[in-house]
Amino acid sequence: MNDWIAIGALAVVGLAIPLGMMAVSALLRPSVPEQGKRTVYESGEVPTGTARIRFNIQYYMVALLFLVFDIETVLLFPWVTIYRPALEQGVPLLDVLWPMLTFVGILAVGLVWAWRNGAVQWTSSPRATARKTERETES
Amino acid sequence: MSLAPAQLFPEFVANALGLPGIAGEIVGALIAAFLVGNVMLTFTGVAGPWAKRKITAAFTDRIAVNRIGPFGLLIIPAAAVQLLAKELIIPEGADRPSYDLAPIVLPASALLGFAVIPMGNLGPINVQLADPEVGFALVFAFASIASISLVMAGYASNNKYSLLGGLRAVAQNLAYEIPLIVTAMSVVVFAGTLQTSGIVAAQQEALVTLGGITIPSWYAFVNPFAFLLFLTANMAEIGRNPFDIPEAPTEIVAGYQTEYSSAYFVLFYLGEFLHIFLGGAILTMAFLGGASGPGPESIGFVWFVVKIWAFFLFTQWCRAAMPRFRIDQLIEVGWKGMLVLSFANLVLTAVLVGVTV
Repeated sequence: MNDWIAIGALAVVGLAIPLGMMAVSALLRPSVPEQGKRTVYESGEVPTGTARIRFNIQYYMVALLFLVFDIETVLLFPWVTIYRPALEQGVPLLDVLWPMLTFVGILAVGLVWAWRNGAVQWTSSPRATARKTERETES
Repeated sequence: MSLAPAQLFPEFVANALGLPGIAGEIVGALIAAFLVGNVMLTFTGVAGPWAKRKITAAFTDRIAVNRIGPFGLLIIPAAAVQLLAKELIIPEGADRPSYDLAPIVLPASALLGFAVIPMGNLGPINVQLADPEVGFALVFAFASIASISLVMAGYASNNKYSLLGGLRAVAQNLAYEIPLIVTAMSVVVFAGTLQTSGIVAAQQEALVTLGGITIPSWYAFVNPFAFLLFLTANMAEIGRNPFDIPEAPTEIVAGYQTEYSSAYFVLFYLGEFLHIFLGGAILTMAFLGGASGPGPESIGFVWFVVKIWAFFLFTQWCRAAMPRFRIDQLIEVGWKGMLVLSFANLVLTAVLVGVTV
């Protein structure tokens, strides 16, 4: 039996269930169009501008770091899979171990570099820091 | 480690219907997938409108739903009809294709993950849809499609809370995905295979016998440190307390699902609960011995269900008992703590296995 047919079948079912629920809902629900209720929610105030705004740079920093480590996990998967079978076939321990240790070691150096440069430290805007200092000096 | 090819669920269905060839495979696979999908849907149906309320009520000394049906169980169909019959309100300036696709992607990705989970035997049936050699890597690949859905929802809603929720969801999933997978790798180091049935089979030998009770070599007992790491990273991946930052109700309203209503909202809710159960299923498979338990092998499915519901209960317990991390704490715990610990765990496990083999 082909495994991928079964996985494909579950993909079909997985898409059919949400689509089916949307179809049932489309038959059941009322539609009373009105401009007021389409306004986006902003705590009951009149919304200002769009949501296409500038946001904290930190979200980019962690995404960049993630790319490096995610590729690392992909490259480590073959290693962990053959590790035990290789040992059982009598390959010396250090011969199987050193490629992974070197690889993880190099990435650990990378993490230390990113850490020291503040890539994994949440940045707050200068204005927020200034406000915080003001509050502290007032009290 | 090679295993005797067990008859999987689609093959069982095809044989039971007497359908040969490729057509039989496809029909059998579709029927089996439909059954598995609906079992999971039933679990989320019970969990969402009923069990979640009952559990939270028990933790906070209240009664919760008890008006309709025995123990208030009929709230489940009532809630389904009520939610599906709500008007769909699409916010101004929503990015249409993305806004509509996001609620389809989330439940679909969670359901797809169940394809390779070995759910044990139910009578003569081996409830597992597929058992490819890369199953254990595949299940993480499927589960992480969810982040895309959350970004799509957050971006497309044209709402600042949604955008923040979507961004937080990505930052969190990225930060905890690596510890999750690296910890999962330490399981592969023990088992020596990526095949999900092989990982479960490797956990069936006895570890120690204490006073007549045999403790099986579930990886939760063999390597409790990895189990705790995996549990924590798993809670973050599925966005449950103390990691429910993407939808923190007291900070950003409801995060990425703020602007969703009607069937779209139901689908998000459904997708999240499916992800809780998928997280429980992965944990069960990798650390809790899969579908094994006392009693004959033919009731394995019951043990599987008990284990994933135990994980669900655990998430709800955390919800009632734990405060929420702040986003800056989340990033630091993830990148400075979990990542380092998970690599330490992998190296130590590899050395220990290497010395003992």
